[in-house]
Amino acid sequence: MIRNRFVFYKPILFTFFIMMVSFLLTGCSREKDTDGLGRTIISVWFHTGRPEEKQVMENQVKRFNESQDKIKVRLTLIPEGDYNTQIQAAAADGKLPDLLDLDGPYVYNYAWKKHLIPIDHLLPHEIKKDLLPSIIEQGTYRGKLYAIGTFDSGLGLYGNRKFLSAVAAHIPTGPQNAWKIDEFEKILAALAQKDKDGKVLDLRMDYRGEWFTYAFSPAIHSGGGDLINRDNFQNATGILNGPSAVKAMQHIKVWFAKQYVDPNTDTNSFVNGRVALSWCGHWEYPRYSTALGNDLVVLPLPDFGNGTKTGMGSWCWSITSNCKNPQRAMQFLLFLLRPTEILAMCRANGAVPARKSAIAASTLYQDNGPLHLFARQLEGGYAVPRPQTPAYPVITSVFQQAFQDIRHGRDVKQALDQAASMINQDIKDNKGYPDL
Amino acid sequence: MNQIKSYHISSRPKATIKLGLPISALICYLSLSLMALFYIAPIVYMVVSSLKPDSRVLTDGGSILAFIPVEGSLRNFQDVFRRVSFGRVMFNSMFITGMIMVCGLVVNALAGYALARLQWRGREVVLTFILALMIIPFETIAVPLFYQVSIIGWRDSYHVQIIPFIADAFSIYLFYSFFIGMPRELEEAARIDGAGPWRTLLYIIVPLARPVFATVAILTFLMRWGSYLWPLMVTTGETYRPLPVAMAAFENQVKLWGDIMAFGVMMVAPILIVFLLFQGWFVKGVAASGTGQKQ
Amino acid sequence: MITMTKVQAKTPQKLKTQSRSQASDERTAWIMAAPAFLGLLLFIAAPFIIAIFFAFTNYRLGSPLPLDFVAFQQFVRIFSDEAFQQALVNNSLFALFIVPLQCAIALGLALLINRPLKGMVLFRTLFFMPVIFPMALVAIVWELIYAPGANGILNAFLSTVTLGYWQPLDFLHHPDLALPAIMILSLWQGVGFQMIIMLAGLQSIPQTFYEAAAIDGANRWQQLIHITLPQMKNTIIFVALVTSILAFRLFDQIWILTQGGPNRATTTIIFETVRAVFKRQDVARGSAMSVVFFLVVLAVTLLQRRISRQEREIR
Repeated sequence: MIRNRFVFYKPILFTFFIMMVSFLLTGCSREKDTDGLGRTIISVWFHTGRPEEKQVMENQVKRFNESQDKIKVRLTLIPEGDYNTQIQAAAADGKLPDLLDLDGPYVYNYAWKKHLIPIDHLLPHEIKKDLLPSIIEQGTYRGKLYAIGTFDSGLGLYGNRKFLSAVAAHIPTGPQNAWKIDEFEKILAALAQKDKDGKVLDLRMDYRGEWFTYAFSPAIHSGGGDLINRDNFQNATGILNGPSAVKAMQHIKVWFAKQYVDPNTDTNSFVNGRVALSWCGHWEYPRYSTALGNDLVVLPLPDFGNGTKTGMGSWCWSITSNCKNPQRAMQFLLFLLRPTEILAMCRANGAVPARKSAIAASTLYQDNGPLHLFARQLEGGYAVPRPQTPAYPVITSVFQQAFQDIRHGRDVKQALDQAASMINQDIKDNKGYPDL
Repeated sequence: MNQIKSYHISSRPKATIKLGLPISALICYLSLSLMALFYIAPIVYMVVSSLKPDSRVLTDGGSILAFIPVEGSLRNFQDVFRRVSFGRVMFNSMFITGMIMVCGLVVNALAGYALARLQWRGREVVLTFILALMIIPFETIAVPLFYQVSIIGWRDSYHVQIIPFIADAFSIYLFYSFFIGMPRELEEAARIDGAGPWRTLLYIIVPLARPVFATVAILTFLMRWGSYLWPLMVTTGETYRPLPVAMAAFENQVKLWGDIMAFGVMMVAPILIVFLLFQGWFVKGVAASGTGQKQ
Repeated sequence: MITMTKVQAKTPQKLKTQSRSQASDERTAWIMAAPAFLGLLLFIAAPFIIAIFFAFTNYRLGSPLPLDFVAFQQFVRIFSDEAFQQALVNNSLFALFIVPLQCAIALGLALLINRPLKGMVLFRTLFFMPVIFPMALVAIVWELIYAPGANGILNAFLSTVTLGYWQPLDFLHHPDLALPAIMILSLWQGVGFQMIIMLAGLQSIPQTFYEAAAIDGANRWQQLIHITLPQMKNTIIFVALVTSILAFRLFDQIWILTQGGPNRATTTIIFETVRAVFKRQDVARGSAMSVVFFLVVLAVTLLQRRISRQEREIR
């Protein structure tokens, strides 16, 4: 009888035992510095947005590993959605890899916390000279270079020529004659009148997170405001909630209030011809141009008063303080910075190549290329970097909140007042982010 | 078994029901069916959408086509496997939940037994301590726990998702109340025969306590299988990520709704099968969680 | 607790015959209880104390700056923070609607399913099924159901039912509808669990009560009012407690679907906590919120205890 009962918990004890053993085994497998062949292992994290980018990255790692026998790159792919959250968490317990890519403006916070190391001395001068000014500008914190992107971003308005000519809108030829805001709003009204549901503008409301700051802080700049006072990065009140910034956001609020903006749940509002204009980045060019062909026009963002402004910065590479062998990590980064590799990545994601020599070789971005506007914006000073301060994670978080609130009808001044005071609070709590 | 039970009940109050049966039963069926429609529609929609081309999922939403697999194919399922290491993520979830269940059964049953059946100094203090801990919700301690595991470098691993959840105050309480309600005679006979507490527990108590083991196992499963907040905080890549977080990340990447729904179907299918096979246990387990606290 | 004292009273006589093994019993008991005790101590009690500690500091995630004590400043801040105030209101609103609704539906379903009719197991299975769906999946499926525009399933359904009068809405971005939308999907996922508990309660009511009532000529409705509901009181209170605690723990759906928007209409305590810590690196503020959250749950629990005790005394 007792034996019979034993049958019941034997499997439980058995699984318990097996699990304990496997548990210990998984716990024991430590990260190693070298592999079986004596090659230095460089751990690399890469965000994955679109499958094409992931593909190119994987191929690049493979090519690099095969091209030499000193270094083995081990790649970890992390989905983009909560990437920054995840990196912050990993940084907190010292689990950062040797090399990782970061969404540009987050670099400063990590640099301030000394999670990243300066890489000026590792970067050959002739490459530095060839890089777009915006790449250096975004990667520099307090005079030292902490990050290099292999590509930069372009932000503008994609237009559907069919709809625009139906309302006889003049089509800007470059950033110097961008639509003035009044003109832009007249065009919206005219388009809405001819549209079935009156929704004619796509602001990519299907995106979340960093998109709002990246895409709509240029509107504030263009109106003459800013996210924070950039003299010493200590104060946001009177700037973010100043009259210029409020006025710019007021315009955007009206677009929502007048129902011009398509919610774009299916991400297809522009390619399906539901809207005439899409406020979006370079990354949608391949899909948009396939769908619209010759009807696609690429335009600068509207001018809110102080000339058109646009965003800059994208994912960029940094070496962490965990890295035991920065030279070797840099070798992989230099491999990625070869014009051919830059172009391989840019072909996949449509981004602006980081090196002028690569731009000249890019059919999309060279003079007369369909996306030349984006390169011109970056080289011609129309692009504004997001504030180079360790407070950026807080700035963007509260700005995103403010944008969402305004989108849903909250009073603009109230929303920005609160955002500005929260930013100031954070800076005060961190004692002004002193140099350590 | 459950059907037999309902028939059994029905034979008793027949006299009162006989006349009212057709109409009241009809109303009963009608309201249940309406409710069932509300319950089944999202599930059918998910399954049907998983078979459709991505672009159709949203455009078909406006008509009855939403529930008909037009242009049906298994391509979305192939896409899921191409885009994420689904097998890995599924294994992670099963391994983590399984480990918590098995280790939890052992650890919490032992504690419940010691509290219910053994005499020791400090017993009441420990018992009060455990009862008090029952009301601390996980969300209260998530942040400092995260800080704790970060210090010891546990982030992004299996054990960070398992070890903190093995000991569970409510499970101990369920074991405790079950053990304390068992007759002592059997156990005393064994003790007189010279069996120590370990042997008594193993050979006498455990075989008689199957229902409470099943209850705790199922409640642990239901609590842990869908957990989202903690793995969101402590996992980084796909290596240790469980299904719910992987699902949210997958949805976040590109909004290809067909793929997303295929991911969802694959995510629940195995568990649904287990549930349908053992649903009697599930029901009993959940029912016990309510009665367990009632007195 | 009552049963416990009984056990103690009973054992001493037995112990005389076994005093030999008492010392080893003591040790065995500690060994048996140790793993669980240690686990609870390390992973629940310790973090709980740390949470309280952090709430009085300015600790920030990974900050290289020294730790300062700020007394009650974090609490002052969160209570003057509009978003947190709104979170408290939202959680309360959510509980206020979902608790009676979910209890009523769960009880209603349980009553129907408890009828001695064919096919009830099928219905029970169906209603319980969403309970095993992870909330992350439920949220995403319902995101599609709530899709804005005429092609959204719910919009299309409402338009058909109202013969075209319904104007398509963007439920999850509508300030007045976002929270109710979250409620409905939570209800869909959770009601099966409560239904089973109610069903168990119903089945534990002695059949003789109903037989006696039937002899006295009570009809179905009278039986429900005078037998079922009073007998179910404790079960209902228990279900209400569990549901209200769940209502205050609302997070997964919010994080995935609305991120607290539109205009804070769906922000919750836990959402604000997670955002403070992971988006703004403010662990101290998050800890202060956690402490407030705990106090709320404690209050709900004590309230339930008090109500059920009074009930027992009256009876």
